[in-house]
Amino acid sequence: MPIEFKGNHAMFLDIVTVEEAETLLEWLQKKPTAKVNLADCVHLHPANLQVLMAAKPVIKAWPKDAGLRSWLESALLE
Amino acid sequence: MNPLLEQFLSEARDFLQGISEKLMELENAPGDAAMMNELFRLVHTLKGNSGLFDFPEMTRVLHAGEDLMDVVRNGRVAYSQLLADRLLDAMDFVGMLCDEVESDGVMGKTHGTDAARLGASLRELMQADDGQAPDQASGQAPGKPGAPDVATAVESKEPDPEASAQLPLAAIPETARMEAYRRARAGDPLHWLVYTPSEQCFYQGDDPFFLVRQTPELLWGGIEARDPWSPLAELDAYACLLDFSLLTAAPRAALEEHYRYVADQIRLIPVARLALVLPQGDTNGGPVYDDFLSDALELLRAGDLDGLARNAGTMLELSNPDLWIASALRWLRLVLETEPETEPESPAVLDALLESLRTFEPPAWDGVGAVAAEGSTQRDDVATLSAEEAEALEAVVATQRTILSQTDNPDWLPGRIQSVAAALSGCLRVCGDSAALPGLDAATGDALEANSGAALLAWLDARFPAMAPVLAEAGAEHPSVSPQLPTESAPAPSEAPPAAAQATPAPEGESGGVKFGRRAEDAIAGPKSLKVDQTKIDRLMNLIGEMVVAKNGLPYLAGRAEDVFGVRELSRDIKGHYAVINRIAEEMQDAIMQVRMMPVSFVFQRFPRLVRDISRKLGKDVHLVMEGEDTEADKNIIEALGDPLVHIVRNSLDHGFESPEVRAAAGKPVAGTLTLRATQESDRVVIEIKDDGKGIDPDVIKHKAYTKGLIDEATLERISDQEAVNLVFAAGLSTAETVSDLSGRGVGMDVVRSAVEKVNGAMTLTSVLGQGTQLRLSVPLSMAVTNVMIVVSDDQSFGVPMDTVVETVRVPQSAIRTIKRSLATVLRGRIVPLKSINTLLGIQAQHKANADDELAVLVVRLGDETLGLLVDDFRETVDIILKPMTGVLASLSAYSGSALMGDGSVLMVLNVKEIL
Repeated sequence: MPIEFKGNHAMFLDIVTVEEAETLLEWLQKKPTAKVNLADCVHLHPANLQVLMAAKPVIKAWPKDAGLRSWLESALLE
Repeated sequence: MNPLLEQFLSEARDFLQGISEKLMELENAPGDAAMMNELFRLVHTLKGNSGLFDFPEMTRVLHAGEDLMDVVRNGRVAYSQLLADRLLDAMDFVGMLCDEVESDGVMGKTHGTDAARLGASLRELMQADDGQAPDQASGQAPGKPGAPDVATAVESKEPDPEASAQLPLAAIPETARMEAYRRARAGDPLHWLVYTPSEQCFYQGDDPFFLVRQTPELLWGGIEARDPWSPLAELDAYACLLDFSLLTAAPRAALEEHYRYVADQIRLIPVARLALVLPQGDTNGGPVYDDFLSDALELLRAGDLDGLARNAGTMLELSNPDLWIASALRWLRLVLETEPETEPESPAVLDALLESLRTFEPPAWDGVGAVAAEGSTQRDDVATLSAEEAEALEAVVATQRTILSQTDNPDWLPGRIQSVAAALSGCLRVCGDSAALPGLDAATGDALEANSGAALLAWLDARFPAMAPVLAEAGAEHPSVSPQLPTESAPAPSEAPPAAAQATPAPEGESGGVKFGRRAEDAIAGPKSLKVDQTKIDRLMNLIGEMVVAKNGLPYLAGRAEDVFGVRELSRDIKGHYAVINRIAEEMQDAIMQVRMMPVSFVFQRFPRLVRDISRKLGKDVHLVMEGEDTEADKNIIEALGDPLVHIVRNSLDHGFESPEVRAAAGKPVAGTLTLRATQESDRVVIEIKDDGKGIDPDVIKHKAYTKGLIDEATLERISDQEAVNLVFAAGLSTAETVSDLSGRGVGMDVVRSAVEKVNGAMTLTSVLGQGTQLRLSVPLSMAVTNVMIVVSDDQSFGVPMDTVVETVRVPQSAIRTIKRSLATVLRGRIVPLKSINTLLGIQAQHKANADDELAVLVVRLGDETLGLLVDDFRETVDIILKPMTGVLASLSAYSGSALMGDGSVLMVLNVKEIL
């Protein structure tokens, strides 16, 4: 499972594929106070990114991968 | 290159040829709907085919063409010359791609832009023409729709400071911008890339984010939402609403290659290096820096760049790094570091930076551009003229000319000259031609001295002879200028009458610049395969047949040389020569046969789809296994097999296989297996169609046949199971309970059998109830050469096709019995009826027995029975080219044809089935 949901925490692991977007969206719809940990994420499909951008959860940790982090910051930091 | 690609290329050429022919024909008859449909079909098919391969560029162009043809076909856009031109261009492009693929095996990677441009130019016609008269559209074309293309194409090659300034570069962090600046200084091209993926792209399995992350030489990238997000509850995660923008130092070609699948969704804008120099931060704490500024300006004037760098460094250490001023200083330092001292634009750049330090405004690079252009070899920072600006410039220059041409000599003449000089120097600066300023100054001085405008006018005429040449000249002196000028402005608007431009619509390509080098006059690269009319091959076949016959005459000749003329030597020579000719003729025959050979995959290839469709329809689960698809046979044979095989497969699916539930109940695997196997057995091709279905119940068949009146009661009792199964070949028998659209009409297997027999094929059917049915079709490899056995009766030779011959035996006269009126004998315990060939053919002669009082009996197969033919003697078997009987002889069914023998005699080949 590329995303681990624990309480209102979501851990993104490795590569998060397009299939996860639906689950993620449903989860975020239920958890308005969701927190997301991207530290171990290597790549995520833009469908997931869109969901994050729209839901604006708290980002607990940014990816360790500097390239990915810079991309995500441009989208999620506003 | 794989065979599929090979075939695609050869077909693509035919299609392209067809398309251009149709386009030409349509020019003469634009209203021909049928032809338009045909054209659409061609483009459509070609597009579909190209989709099988990894040729996105080709498919894109063809897709645009197809869409365009579709609207034309539906009458929403009228056919026009321009449309034909663009389509032909597009097809030339496709042809060029085909050439490339053929010669290199792959397509060049750099065609993305061309493809996008062609696609856009085709699509443009679709919209532009909507609701407009075609002539209007074609009139507009060269001016309006063509020009923007050109402008973008040209402008996007070189960075345009103005365009760069409009990019949201400030969003990029300073460190990334600085890195980019360094890269640009080192000579790398900078590009701003905006990628707007289509909303549906997730469904096509695309990951645009991954694509952009893999961008070569990526310096910075950002993601933005296209629209404000809809509430979370209504959000569609799978509609891509993201825009990606990024800064890269990769060359244009590399980017185009990377994005070649989405070439129509990206925008590439070259970025001028200086546009990156944007100090950012808190603008507090201004006045303290005044001292530094004045010092710095002084140092700059004095050319002490090292000193300036030192000062800036100190200042930077003292400043809060978040301040705007600190950011500006960092840039100042970077510019100082990277800027070679010899670079003439440095002072201007630094000047502008210092100026911005004072004003807290972003540096104004416009001025720098003009100065930098002075003697600069750098292309990055040169001012460009838009069409409007060029026009304005021309107007200004023309006015100055008028003023100078005035012949009156008022007191204020010096003032007038000075004002003209000022205006002209402004013009020179604008077009980046500062090098000419000293010349202007000198001319002004001369003019003031002489108190006459003549000197200045002379200079003006020399510098700006007329507007159009002026720009050309400017371009010549500064190569950087001319490519940036939109081509529109090259012919001065006032000089080129717009009417003329509209009257003769120039072909798009002329202004479009890029041609694909395939016009009628080009030498056509010969394709590797030929399409030959089958009649030509047939003629070759006939000729080689005659050759074989003529060649076979040589041994007779040798025999005559020896026997009649008694020259043994000559006879031996002739025989030797015969061997040579024989070898060549055989090879030739083989080669010609090869030409006609086709793999059975030609008929097999339709089955996967057929089986899938039909089994779905019937709710059955059938697995198709095909083997030996590359077994080859003569084209006629293969083609003749197509329909019978389809019929057999359908029958098998419909009657043979049980439904999955029945199969499961019977303990069989739920999925049935249908096996199609082709093998070659000596000179015959054997095709087996085997299913593991329920098999044929002989009792059912027997009763069906009986109720339909196909067999009588006696036969019903007597018939064996195998014979009963073979009754399915009888005309009018159907085992299906109900008539479906698939089978059950009773016109099945008998038709199949006769079709197979027509090509001298044979069929055998075996079936085990509950286990499956197997059909074996055996057809000759080729029909061209027939192997016959020669038999002699009453000194006449006859041919009997070898495939009917079972054996040759000699039967003692005493072993021949007469049962009722027919003759018969016992061969290995079986009674074999005998017929005399003399009686059958009406020859009034008795059969000759040999010395041992034995008669020659040729045992032939007739369906399932064997029968003996009484003849006088057997001769050799020969390969002959069987010529069917023609003319009045055609009605003689006793003979299937005739053949010419080597000694010139004619051999009649018996049709055994008919005479018995």
